[in-house]
Amino acid sequence: MSRVTIEVVVNGQPHRAEIPARRLLADFIRDDLFLTGTKRGCETGVCGACSVLLDGEVVKSCLSLAVQAEGHEITTVEGITSGGELHPLQASFAEHGGFQCGYCTPGMLMAAIAILNESPSPTEAEVRAGLSGNLCRCTGYVGIVESIMAAAEKMRGT
Amino acid sequence: MRDFDYLMPETVGEVSGLLARLGDDCRMIAGGTALLLALRQRMVTPTHLVSLARVRGLRGITYDPRDGLRIGALTTHAAVARSPLVRQRYPVLADMASRLANPQVRNQGTLGGNLCYADPTTDPPTCLAALEAMLVLGSARGYRYLPVTDFLVDYYASALEPDEVLTEIRIPAPRFDFGYHARFHRTAAEHRPLINLALLARRDGDVVGEARLVVGATTVVPTRVAAAEAVLAGRRVTAALAREAADIVAEAIDPVSDIRGGSAFRRDMVRVVARRTIERLVEQDSEGRIVA
Repeated sequence: MSRVTIEVVVNGQPHRAEIPARRLLADFIRDDLFLTGTKRGCETGVCGACSVLLDGEVVKSCLSLAVQAEGHEITTVEGITSGGELHPLQASFAEHGGFQCGYCTPGMLMAAIAILNESPSPTEAEVRAGLSGNLCRCTGYVGIVESIMAAAEKMRGT
Repeated sequence: MRDFDYLMPETVGEVSGLLARLGDDCRMIAGGTALLLALRQRMVTPTHLVSLARVRGLRGITYDPRDGLRIGALTTHAAVARSPLVRQRYPVLADMASRLANPQVRNQGTLGGNLCYADPTTDPPTCLAALEAMLVLGSARGYRYLPVTDFLVDYYASALEPDEVLTEIRIPAPRFDFGYHARFHRTAAEHRPLINLALLARRDGDVVGEARLVVGATTVVPTRVAAAEAVLAGRRVTAALAREAADIVAEAIDPVSDIRGGSAFRRDMVRVVARRTIERLVEQDSEGRIVA
């Protein structure tokens, strides 16, 4: 089996690992780093449950090889809390019914962070466009969109 | 996914040497969004992946008025969409890139990777064909230049030689004042367009000077419809003209027929997309009707 050595920073923590070249980024995060917040869903790039941030931009970790992340910074859902406090988006999802079963939620949160990084005052249409790579089969999206709009307002401090 | 070796060359010459040596046993990987799917489904089973990530000279966007725009092949769709140069000089390209697929694919997928995969059901080929993009292909033997319409030859097939790398996409200096890249999806949740259509035009008030019209996604390669361009040239845009030109477009193309849509349905939808796009050349009311 051909192996590669990679150095990546995950949630602020540097890691050096020797892995098979074919290891998916999703599997590296879950099975090697035991960060199981990131979900494997469809595993064909459709559902977005595996979304993580790569250098601050949202990507699907089931469509990336871990070796492609060499030299880059990854943020998973475990990395968005600070000092045991929920991220404002997480608090808002809880408050506004942004999830039911919760399986899509880690991916939704990463997509939501990317939306607010791009545009701190997004329109509802921008939020929906920003979520177009993430599927939720429970909520019908209304609660998710409301959660993100409310978090945006809170994060702007208005 | 089968096991493979992962190679990280640093120059176009090195890549070309590896491709020549390994032949069909290897695949290049750029962003990897399309390749990973093919690997996971074992549609391709290479023994080697040649990564372009460390290759010098495949990144960046530059513009000069004489040579136009140059986009490095490893530029992501998101970077194209964000680029002030692209947004200012080629808004149609920035707009297309900003709506392509979904945010995750835009952040990871590259313009060069999209073209080399030659998947007909994507947006960049149609838009780039209308913009008359020229591709730069490099190998250990040197560089050659090919119009994007000669590069895309068939369903998932390009003119890339086995030892070649797409290094750059060049677009001539803009000469149109209108551009729109339209797409038609069967459902709002779908990311692969059933049809797309790029229309560029120079206008004098509501009279079209020159137009460039290309249909894609529903044909195996982007199809320029010169007969429709000729009908539009020199005419005042009216609802009747839009219908006349749209009929020509619908009859001129050779739509594919598959599980996503039969050829008759696709032809009908091309007619609708063409009419609506041409109507955008002039002011419309809130219902999309031309303001006379």
